[in-house]
Amino acid sequence: MGVFHRGVRNAFRNTVRSASVIFILALSICMALIMFMSLKTVQTKIDSVKSSIGNIVTVSPAGIRGFEGGGQLLTSENVKTVSEINNVTKVVSVLNDRVNNGTDTNLQSAIEAGNFGNRQGNRQFRTNDSSNTAINNSITQRTFTPPIQIVATSDLSNTASLNVAQFEITSGTLFDVNTSDNVALVGKDLATKNSLNVDSTFQAYSKDIKVVGIYDTGNAFTNSSLVVPLVTLQNLSDQSGLISEMVVQTSSIDSVGSVANDIKTALGNSADVVSQQDNSNSAIAPLQNIKTISLYGLIGSLVAGSIIILLTIVMIVRERRQEIGVLKAIGASNALVITQFSVESLVLTLTSSVLGILLGIVLSNPILNVLVNNSTSSTTPSGPGGGGGREFARLGAGIINGSTNSIRNLHNVIGIDIILYGLLAAIAIALIGSAIPSYMIAKVRPAEVLRSE
Amino acid sequence: MLSVKNLCKEFKSGEHKVLAVNNLNMEVPDGIFASIIGRSGSGKSTLLSMLGALDKPTSGEIIVDNTDIAKMGDRKLIKYRRDKIGFVFQSYNLVPNLTAIENVMLPMEFAGMNKNAQESRASKLLKSVGLTEDKYLRRPKRLSGGEQQRVAIARALANKPKLILADEPTGNLDSSTGSIIIKLLKNLAKSEGTTIIAVTHDIGIANQAEKTFTLKDGKLTN
Ligand SMILES: Nc1ncnc2c1ncn2[C@@H]1O[C@H](COP(=O)(O)OP(=O)(O)O)[C@@H](O)[C@H]1O
Ligand SMILES: [Mg+2]
Repeated sequence: MGVFHRGVRNAFRNTVRSASVIFILALSICMALIMFMSLKTVQTKIDSVKSSIGNIVTVSPAGIRGFEGGGQLLTSENVKTVSEINNVTKVVSVLNDRVNNGTDTNLQSAIEAGNFGNRQGNRQFRTNDSSNTAINNSITQRTFTPPIQIVATSDLSNTASLNVAQFEITSGTLFDVNTSDNVALVGKDLATKNSLNVDSTFQAYSKDIKVVGIYDTGNAFTNSSLVVPLVTLQNLSDQSGLISEMVVQTSSIDSVGSVANDIKTALGNSADVVSQQDNSNSAIAPLQNIKTISLYGLIGSLVAGSIIILLTIVMIVRERRQEIGVLKAIGASNALVITQFSVESLVLTLTSSVLGILLGIVLSNPILNVLVNNSTSSTTPSGPGGGGGREFARLGAGIINGSTNSIRNLHNVIGIDIILYGLLAAIAIALIGSAIPSYMIAKVRPAEVLRSE
Repeated sequence: MLSVKNLCKEFKSGEHKVLAVNNLNMEVPDGIFASIIGRSGSGKSTLLSMLGALDKPTSGEIIVDNTDIAKMGDRKLIKYRRDKIGFVFQSYNLVPNLTAIENVMLPMEFAGMNKNAQESRASKLLKSVGLTEDKYLRRPKRLSGGEQQRVAIARALANKPKLILADEPTGNLDSSTGSIIIKLLKNLAKSEGTTIIAVTHDIGIANQAEKTFTLKDGKLTN
């Protein structure tokens, strides 16, 4: 029988004690494992939330949101200034306009006015014709057709500039973004409503506009819009060189904050700068909390595990002091006795970690859920609220809802690597737990064996 | 020949000093059965532990096989204990969770002997100390004191030591079992050519020895 065999056998010498130690140690290893998995899962999620939020800064003219407010539009001069800022990789220019059926265009909106539309429409008539109380009073239920939105962007591949999540051409082709031809891409619903196909024409701004493609965004509002080349819209709407929004891409997610600040400095009062940094911070905050909890939990359970095995082995060494002296007296070296006790401690921790890993597999998801629910309810995300502009509502709704959903969707995945880490941790715990006992073993004087008689 | 020259062992506990072995000289011829007697606290165990390299002398020489073990390094001392010395203790000191035969195999394992050789030598030794075969696989708890001491003697003989050191080997046994154990030790010493030094309180046992040393206050009196 060798030293390893003896170590293994000694591990189960006192069955009740070994069972309790293994059980407690398994719990702490299980805890450590869960915390480690949470840490990994949450980190992955933070990265993906960060990258889904993207490295984008939006610049709008000061005082203008969509078609609300008032002030001066941005200029191509502004675009040039912004594109020269450090870490700015791309600036997409956007111009929005809208045309009304009858006055500006022969197109009919695919969107039904409904209660909301009629309310908005009547309010508009009232404000426009406020001097004419007679009309105001007599026409209380005037039928209202929603205007048709027109978007022009300098980069059709930039879905953020189109204010959509997806942009798919269902027939026809894209136009060249630099053209000044009177061409348009038509939303799928708008095309159906007005029986438009590729190559048909419609009227807007008293011009014939040719349809080059039909698109689908998966969204009713934008599927009832038009997309035209930037220069075309600037010419048609008499806004040459002007844009209503810049979508600025930065070189990395981490430079978003500094780029936003630089833009604010460069454009001063002429622009409102919305970076998604603040939103991303509040979206990530609950994840960061889980990460912190997990990290402390991981350290705590590793420390607890080490202390448990340390105390156990210290207890065992003290108990078997006489036996250690005898082994030395009959010719065992310190190294051999220490090896025997380390094997014993390793057997205890490895058995515990197998049990701990099994427990971890069973318990990790429920525990992660508890962590997530506690930390999301403790940090109420600032919702879109009222009054916020189009931009804010978009960001608010998209990011905050998106990220809380993604937090809820966190799911621990046990991989071979995690099990390996678990076993490594167990071995580390066993070795740490054997260090002090080893010193105690080395200190036992074989002559003590005679003294105790 | 084992010879001890000017051996001193001093224990210090704070200010308090005890000279447990005080300038002791002795010679023990090879292959004899020698006994050491003396009152409790006279330094018998301390002397024995230095002879067996369990402890280092404060000063003096212990010459075994022409080498002074007092000057040996730790690695050599481990080998010396393992190969040259066999210990028999008053309270047997068998490893509790090993069987009788495993206890006897232990020193041979330390010496690097292969398992089959360990096993066959261990059973031979157990047979020679008179343990019946049905008890080879018992743990110490299930053996009587006399049986445990037989196993301990077999273990002491495992690596064919030059010297067996026994500290009151019959101290925990009744007198008839004690005299059987002493007879066993004497016979083995004769047949294996092993020197035996046994510490004892029992004058009857001391009288059977070929040479008896009497210790008083860390010094020999005869
Ligand atoms: N480790 C030690 N520390 C302090 N004093 C010791 C130690 N070992 C022995 N002594 C002292 O040395 C003296 C001799 O002890 P010991 O050799 O055990 O005597 P004996 O075996 O003859 O009864 C005693 O006074 C004892 O108290
Ligand atoms: Mg004594």
